[in-house]
Amino acid sequence: MALTGVEIFKLLPNTNCKKCGHPTCLAFAMKLAQRQASLDQCPDVSEEAKRILGEASAPPIRPVTFGVGDRALKMGEEMVLFRHEKKFVNPTVFAVEIKDTEPEEKINKTINDVLTSEIERVGQRLRIDAIFLNNASGDPQRFETLVKTVSSKAPQVPLILSTTNPQAAEAGLKVVADKRPILFGANKDNLEAMVSLAKTYKVPLGVTGNGLEEVSGLTEKIKSMGVEDIIIDSGAKSARQIIEHNTLIRRSALKKNFKPLGYPVINLCQREDQLLEALIGALGVMKYSSIVVLSSAEKWKNLVLFTLRQNIYTDPQVPMQVEQKIYKIGEPKPESPLLITTNFSLTYFIVSGEIENSKVPSRLAVMDCEGLSVLTAWAAGKFTAAKIAQFIKESGIENEISHRELIIPGYVAILSGAIEEKLPGWKVTVGPREANGIPAFLRQRMS
Amino acid sequence: MLIIGEKLSIIAKRVREAMLKRDKGPIQEIAKAQWQAGAGMIDANIGPAEDGGESLMEWMVTTIQEAVPLPVCLDTTNYKAVEAGLKVHNNQWGRPLINSTSNDPERFPMLELAAKYNCQIIGLTVGKGGLPADAGERAAIAAEIMARAMEYGVPLEDLYLDPLVLQIATSQDHALKVIEAIKLFKEMNDPPMKTVVGLSNISNGCPKELRPVINKYYFLMLLDAGLDAAIADPKEMAEAMEERPLFTAVIAGKEVEDRKKAEVIKKTVDIIMGRSLYAHSYLDM
Amino acid sequence: MAYTAPKESYSGKVFEVTIGAERPVTFGGENCLPFHSFEGSIPHRPVIAYEIQDVPPDDWPETVKAVYNGVSNDPVSWARFCEEKLNAKAIALRLIGTHPDRENRSSEEARKVVSDVLSAIKVPLIILGSNHVEKDSEVLVACAEAAKDKNCIIGKAQEGNYKTITAAAMAHAHKLIAMSELDINLSKQLNILITQMGFPKERLITDPMCSALGYGIEYTYSVMERIRLAALTQNDQVMQPPMLGDVGTYVWKVKETQASEEELPQWGSLKERSIAWEAVTAVAMLMAGAELLIMRHPEAVQAVEKFIDELIE
Repeated sequence: MALTGVEIFKLLPNTNCKKCGHPTCLAFAMKLAQRQASLDQCPDVSEEAKRILGEASAPPIRPVTFGVGDRALKMGEEMVLFRHEKKFVNPTVFAVEIKDTEPEEKINKTINDVLTSEIERVGQRLRIDAIFLNNASGDPQRFETLVKTVSSKAPQVPLILSTTNPQAAEAGLKVVADKRPILFGANKDNLEAMVSLAKTYKVPLGVTGNGLEEVSGLTEKIKSMGVEDIIIDSGAKSARQIIEHNTLIRRSALKKNFKPLGYPVINLCQREDQLLEALIGALGVMKYSSIVVLSSAEKWKNLVLFTLRQNIYTDPQVPMQVEQKIYKIGEPKPESPLLITTNFSLTYFIVSGEIENSKVPSRLAVMDCEGLSVLTAWAAGKFTAAKIAQFIKESGIENEISHRELIIPGYVAILSGAIEEKLPGWKVTVGPREANGIPAFLRQRMS
Repeated sequence: MLIIGEKLSIIAKRVREAMLKRDKGPIQEIAKAQWQAGAGMIDANIGPAEDGGESLMEWMVTTIQEAVPLPVCLDTTNYKAVEAGLKVHNNQWGRPLINSTSNDPERFPMLELAAKYNCQIIGLTVGKGGLPADAGERAAIAAEIMARAMEYGVPLEDLYLDPLVLQIATSQDHALKVIEAIKLFKEMNDPPMKTVVGLSNISNGCPKELRPVINKYYFLMLLDAGLDAAIADPKEMAEAMEERPLFTAVIAGKEVEDRKKAEVIKKTVDIIMGRSLYAHSYLDM
Repeated sequence: MAYTAPKESYSGKVFEVTIGAERPVTFGGENCLPFHSFEGSIPHRPVIAYEIQDVPPDDWPETVKAVYNGVSNDPVSWARFCEEKLNAKAIALRLIGTHPDRENRSSEEARKVVSDVLSAIKVPLIILGSNHVEKDSEVLVACAEAAKDKNCIIGKAQEGNYKTITAAAMAHAHKLIAMSELDINLSKQLNILITQMGFPKERLITDPMCSALGYGIEYTYSVMERIRLAALTQNDQVMQPPMLGDVGTYVWKVKETQASEEELPQWGSLKERSIAWEAVTAVAMLMAGAELLIMRHPEAVQAVEKFIDELIE
């Protein structure tokens, strides 16, 4: 089982040579205990230490990467069952399916949808991450053609080659193995051939089993044959099965240290009804899927799933922050109101949302307070009169507005005098304490 | 066990006004009361003190040491104010303690002062990227602070590690994590590292009458884990030490005469250990 | 190594709550985590209530307002439409018109609406104030009385007004929603205070405060997961009431349910997007432990019902 930082420290050379990039062996040991460092960073560790630490420090859910370059996708490494315990590590991968039985027009459309799927939210770029190529025809030639088409039109996008036919698999791998696709489709009937291909072409192997007992047996076989980067499909189809299987898999890996299920999980979430598909995909995001396969990449469906993934995978200890800036809400004129708040993303969304609901175009000055909410930022000395004054002065907003009135959140009314002192010529108005008071507050000023 | 008296804080209205007016009376009265209640050091919390921090800290240190024969804990994020306080500090009753450095680069310069003035320093195990999630993360930060202290020339014996006590009313699961962190910190060097906490943080936001209860029993649990120092109310700490035998008996499962107090202890320990969800009325349950 | 399923069982369970008189529905009662039927029992499926208001929904986004054109000018026709045409299992009447910053209608007017709606429907009624702490006190007291013997849900009792509202719910034998703001400890405290007044914990519904997808949903999600874990693993009785996801009112305020595709082409079709926004928010609430949902758009409701079908097949 996992060793503590101090136990690990006792196995290290204790020379503080800094070759690992950490200032002391103790600091390195602590990072190892947190799984935030890797033992091979230390050139002087003994063989004995490697053996003991190797076993103890392997993450319970194996990290598996596919794709290459800066579009490579990492899965696994999860440490908890509930996001409030500790942040979920590697966000669910969204993959859109293309079948080799589809007409060329549809194939091209899907490729295009994937390539144009990227949006930005709270400073993150979110997109459909991968393409799931389905050898629905069973024919190696057709599959090869599809693989060629997709990889030439979308060369950056990581791929999943889905086939149970080793000939088709090989045909596809010959085209794109250097892009490190997942070979998905190993099962109890084609195991040797598929494992051999995964070994030869050095790609991760996705295996399907009918239930968890069968899957466990298969992964053990695969590992004994020399392939360790495995992704598991337990055969779960319905929402009920997805919850059951994914929960039992994660519990087995984390609580029982059951290695045969310590791998990333792929869930096939395709549905005829697109809205239902969005809900099943959402379920995957919340309940431990490493890869969610979808049937199409509609923009509305993407937006919903990207946002949910962003929310669920937020680090509960680290607030999400928006950029420090003066935001325009609606079409503000020079005389429009100017409000100020902190850059905690939730604060920003709620306050800007209420300003929008008021239908009074305004400017919202959002100040970098390291993602803290108004009260917390004030208590921590990040939302102070001096800092607010400096932000307003340096923003250049004086050139854009015809007035000199700053509306501050009601909770920091105490700062009004000090702000006015540090911003000569400005008047400070105390706004409502709660964001939902903003619409009434702004509308009332208009009358 | 070093008790650092917490009462001279800018957050307290009476103290804040005395600081503003440079009125020695209340400052010295509170310093004396803490000394008599068993404090081995007096914390002077002047807040971020953007304007006039240096003269304020100088005044606080000299005022306090005029009245009590104790060293001072210099509690502010203002570097210049700390240095001003160190310059006038009278070391004959002990060296001053800088409160604090951390893993936030803005706080590294405090280590320079500790080295330059040969004084002790608190290292708060928090960095810039949010709160530490558990004991292990606190220990990882502690290791970095220890390495940095050595780099700056501050001996490890002069470093007090502070695991960052959070409010039980909103971060209940951290209560136990801090206890675990203290145990981890002690193991991280030979001789063991010194540890300190800002104790009253645990009961911040709790109803007034509950605060001493939670403070005292949390303190005793931290003591059992190896805590060396606490920034706290010396009177509460004295009471806690008196109750220690009773407390020890209750958590060992022994029958005691004072049933009522035993109930209070058990329920409070349950909350600290996370066995029961905290609510302000937890003692009524 | 042989695989054995790591199933878990718990010392606690969620209370069952039944509402309504003529066509009652029951929710709650499970002894396992949300939809973990493989290791426990889930006697009832979640209940979705349709939201109506005492005043026409002029401020609702077009996508959802349009559904109720022709019936939403009158709460009675609106309620009937939900029951008869939409097959609603329950109806939530939000007395938003009583809010002082809105139409500021009186408790008397609210009372009348409640009586009229109750006479028109057979399904259970949830009576919600406008979320103005002081006004809700008077309005809900009057409405609780108007609805006596109908086994309604009265909501919401909050820290600032729970005493009068709880007394009224107790006097007229209703169920009660206790709402606190995304804080598990305050949620427990409120439930303790309410039960200390003599209100039975088995008649409570906990509302930890819903948030829309993209606007804090993860806070609600985690508070709810923690509440459910406390109920099951710590057998914390005061945390064992079923939970409410008051979805519609939070979702239909956000930009994503209003901005057109012309404005933001990268957001795709408005209609599908906004319905999905409500459905996904609702599903997240279900996965975190909500047994009662209040929603607005029938297509979102239907999608969620299909999803529930797959969860409890």
